[in-house]
Amino acid sequence: MLELRIAGRDFGQPVLGEIFVGIERGDRICLMGPSGIGKTTLLNAIAGLDKSIPESAVLGREVLRVGYLFQEHRLLPWKSLMSNLRLVGASKREAEELLMQVGLAGYGAYLPDQLSLGMARRAALARCLAVKPDLLLLDEPFASLDPIMVAELKALVSGILDAQPDMAMICVTHDDKDVVSLANRLWYLNGKPASLQWTDTVGDPQRLEKLLRRLRHG
Amino acid sequence: MNVGTARPPVWSYWIVLPGLMMVWAMTAGYLGSPLLPGPMEVLDTLVRESSSGQLWMHLGATLSRVILAFSLAMLLGTAIGLVLGRSRTFNALFDPLLVLMLNLPALVTIILMYVWFGLVEAAAVMAVVVNKIPNVAVTLREGARSLDYRLEQMASVYRFSLWQRLRDVWMPQLFPYLMVATRGGLALIWKIVLVVELLGRSNGVGFQLHMAFQVFDVSAILAYSLAFIAVVQLIELAILQPLENRSSRWRQPESVHA
Repeated sequence: MLELRIAGRDFGQPVLGEIFVGIERGDRICLMGPSGIGKTTLLNAIAGLDKSIPESAVLGREVLRVGYLFQEHRLLPWKSLMSNLRLVGASKREAEELLMQVGLAGYGAYLPDQLSLGMARRAALARCLAVKPDLLLLDEPFASLDPIMVAELKALVSGILDAQPDMAMICVTHDDKDVVSLANRLWYLNGKPASLQWTDTVGDPQRLEKLLRRLRHG
Repeated sequence: MNVGTARPPVWSYWIVLPGLMMVWAMTAGYLGSPLLPGPMEVLDTLVRESSSGQLWMHLGATLSRVILAFSLAMLLGTAIGLVLGRSRTFNALFDPLLVLMLNLPALVTIILMYVWFGLVEAAAVMAVVVNKIPNVAVTLREGARSLDYRLEQMASVYRFSLWQRLRDVWMPQLFPYLMVATRGGLALIWKIVLVVELLGRSNGVGFQLHMAFQVFDVSAILAYSLAFIAVVQLIELAILQPLENRSSRWRQPESVHA
């Protein structure tokens, strides 16, 4: 579905090295790696936000619809949730259904900054879904939420993934448990410049733990 | 509370302005000179000029020049400012010119326009527009530079059209800059229009001031100035302030669930 042929990316100093990898429909990928290694840089490259990476480095993106859950909600603060969803192409009815799906039924008229962090993130997730994405990019979706909200949001994401088996997902996370519960592939970014290692066998928590320990300590 | 920016309480206007009026009346009464007429005399002139229709005709002429020059300057200045703010190349090319224009005295532009194009309406309006564009451009350039790149990224992921970007992403962010340019713009344009009228037009408040100056009619000068100030304040209260309140409403929404 998508093929990355990134030759490298540097911001003054090299961040990403050569990255050749493919993404197929229905892939559930967790992207891990140390803080500041370039995970968000990689997501931005995939989403086509990095103007210094040529279009041809991400084959197949033009025809894909991408939903991107940024670390901040990035909803337009001067627009109601309803208008934010309508802006990306959802009909009024679709927008209402999406808000219901993420547990925000009745909040359509609210401005994003009137919501708590967890609610705003769910609203942003609703916007991702409003474009009926082929590829869902989640950048640390569970960070800085309290445990109850994390559990709710994880259940929500799992439900969305189950309902749309064809949609591919890349989720940046630091939590091994997310890999087991959400993913069928693991991408691990490490080194300077960072290179990508991946595995398709993440089903067994004990093997995964061993694998991650090996990746983290070289 | 910030003493520098806080608005003074309303009562201060009701004390200071009448106080000023009394000082004026007393000084005028003491001097008894035609060079400083008292408030009643000025009021008389104001009533006379307004009932003869002269006041409205000249205020109208000035106002229409202000509106035309203001609209053109805002439109062109905003477009130029946005281009300069978003493109390093254009900024490198035009920044020196901008600095030059910012420091060019308004009077020079006015004289040159009249010399080159004659004492015609188009030259008068162009002189004002050319004076104002650099200020608008510089303000909006700052605005364009301050656009949130995170919302830009969002808009490109979700493939916003140019029109959507302009209306829903940029405009709300540029609004404070547009307001600054508008306020500064009106204040500057009012004054330049008067000079333009004084130097080369045969109607408008500036022209009337010129005529009054020729015959040392201080009462007319003061009457026209007061009428002028009243119109400017009216625009401020009726248009600018409601506009500003309306579009800053989203900035501090009641935090219901935070």
